[in-house]
Amino acid sequence: MDRTLLYLISLATIFFIYNILSWGLNIQFGMTGILNFAYIIFMAIGAYIAGSFALPKATEIAGQTYVFGFSLPFPIPLIMGGIVASAFGLLVGFVALKRLRSDYMAIATVSVAAITYDFIGNYTPLFNGWDGLAGVPAPLQTALGLSYSNYQLFFLAVCFAFMVFFFFLTQRINHSPFGRTLRSIREDIDVSEAFGKDTFRYRMIAMAIGCFYAGVGGALLIEYISALNPGGWTTGETFVLFAALIIGGSGNNWGVAFGTLLVPIVFQEATRYLPQFPNSDYIIPALRNIIVGSLLIITLWFRPQGIFPERKAEFPSVPLAEPENKQEEADVALG
Amino acid sequence: MTMMHFNPFNPFIYLNAAGFGLVTASILALCAIGLTLQFGVTNYINFAIGSFLTIGAYFAWMVNSHGLNIWLAMIVGGLGTAVLAVILNMGIMQQFVRRNYPVLFMLIVMFGLALILQNVTLAIWGSDFKRYTIATPHQFNLGIFKLTDQQLVIIGVALVIMLGVHLLLTYTKIGKAMRAMSDNPTLARNCGIDTNLVTNITWALSGFLAGLAGVVLAINITTIQPSFGDDFQFVIFAAVIVGGIGRPYGAIAGAALIGIVTEVSAALINSSYKNDVAFAILVLVLLFRPQGIFATEGKA
Repeated sequence: MDRTLLYLISLATIFFIYNILSWGLNIQFGMTGILNFAYIIFMAIGAYIAGSFALPKATEIAGQTYVFGFSLPFPIPLIMGGIVASAFGLLVGFVALKRLRSDYMAIATVSVAAITYDFIGNYTPLFNGWDGLAGVPAPLQTALGLSYSNYQLFFLAVCFAFMVFFFFLTQRINHSPFGRTLRSIREDIDVSEAFGKDTFRYRMIAMAIGCFYAGVGGALLIEYISALNPGGWTTGETFVLFAALIIGGSGNNWGVAFGTLLVPIVFQEATRYLPQFPNSDYIIPALRNIIVGSLLIITLWFRPQGIFPERKAEFPSVPLAEPENKQEEADVALG
Repeated sequence: MTMMHFNPFNPFIYLNAAGFGLVTASILALCAIGLTLQFGVTNYINFAIGSFLTIGAYFAWMVNSHGLNIWLAMIVGGLGTAVLAVILNMGIMQQFVRRNYPVLFMLIVMFGLALILQNVTLAIWGSDFKRYTIATPHQFNLGIFKLTDQQLVIIGVALVIMLGVHLLLTYTKIGKAMRAMSDNPTLARNCGIDTNLVTNITWALSGFLAGLAGVVLAINITTIQPSFGDDFQFVIFAAVIVGGIGRPYGAIAGAALIGIVTEVSAALINSSYKNDVAFAILVLVLLFRPQGIFATEGKA
């Protein structure tokens, strides 16, 4: 098969996987207003769980130390990755979502991200420390016996199927009464509380669902590229997903997909082939992060609703006096 | 230090670790005071505080490598960071505040700013380690503690700053205005306080203290590289949350607690897990006393 075609297939595979990641974050941030700055950690957990469940016992692979090693066949490690990421999400949510102020949520999640990163990196017996897992078997490759290029097509189809499934799931959630409750929490948590919604429970469920997406996305990613180390899930990566969401239009699944195409795929790939500066290979990644950050701030500045804004339901306006300063009101209400 | 048989029941190990804890606590207190004041006045947290530390340390390195004495370079680092903080506030943060954005968006703006500053630092100064030109440290035996002269100066700087901030908040107009804004910004504005000016001064103070903290942190751990402030960042958050958000005296107490407990735990368990201990304290406080241990009523 043609080299260019293979390259495009690999881009499309990554795009499909990233869409799942972005929609998971969209359920948390776009729909519910949960500021989860540790999102990429759940991707990593899903990936590590899936990887270590699919790999054989660590004693059979030289130079790697990790837990589990069950050599399980394809969909099981992936599902386990999603479930474990989701459970970890509930754990983090239990601490971060107890409080109403979004600052606490943000601080707690940033700290979770820093600690998990440090811990997985330093504690080698868990997932091979800073070197990370490598040699994760490609799902069903031996069973199918396909040629290299046909296998790439097969995996693309698998990711496409997952993407379509998660798209319909997200749309379903979005248009369900459950999704409306989530959006009411995002708009005004006190009002939904006043309407008798158990907002803590709803936000916990949104957290769990979003982290499940992250876990499955991470599992697909490690099964596709066969390796992952902590360098692949730094805080900057969470930021790339936030940028995709906000630039595309948070709350709108099509917009988010567009943002995903724009930021992680086109942008990351486009900068990959820039000439390297001699002796300073850090310049290009640094510039990339600077530009992603600036793009996000510029979008928030000029078009905070994103390129494709969320379509909001319209209701006949009720002539009520608007509170002068919403933040003040919220602060008073929260005591 | 002489190698001796490690005895976990030897109290001197912990006392000595507590001495290092005092140094860490001083560094923490420096930036935690500024961070918590700024949080109180502006009502959103500065996720770029770690980069402020790093940038302050690099500013000082630039003048220090041209021959300026390190303690004067420290002042330069602080002033440089203060100017940067005011520029960022006027150019970016105030612009978003003026649009009345929800706090959620402000936090994302700060998160983005942190990423930009980290990478600007990396692009300008490179990923290699830098060191200050500094006199060889001389160790003092202070009864139970063993500290170097530099560490003693760090503790001294922190004490002077604490006293200065206390006087500023208690006796000056600008300090009272900061406290007023922290309590109720609308009321403060209605009383004729120039909230824009107060916000800028708060950012300048917060930037200055973060810059100082960055320099003394670099002196204490002897090297600077682009991520060293960010590694320290959430330890600062832990100190601020333990003390209660928006409460400078609480931040001092929080810094003392976090600083000493992490260093003692480093002697007790393993120094590569001392951040995890700070994190455990942060989680416990968030779960059981989110308004802060030392606060009677917080902003939570």
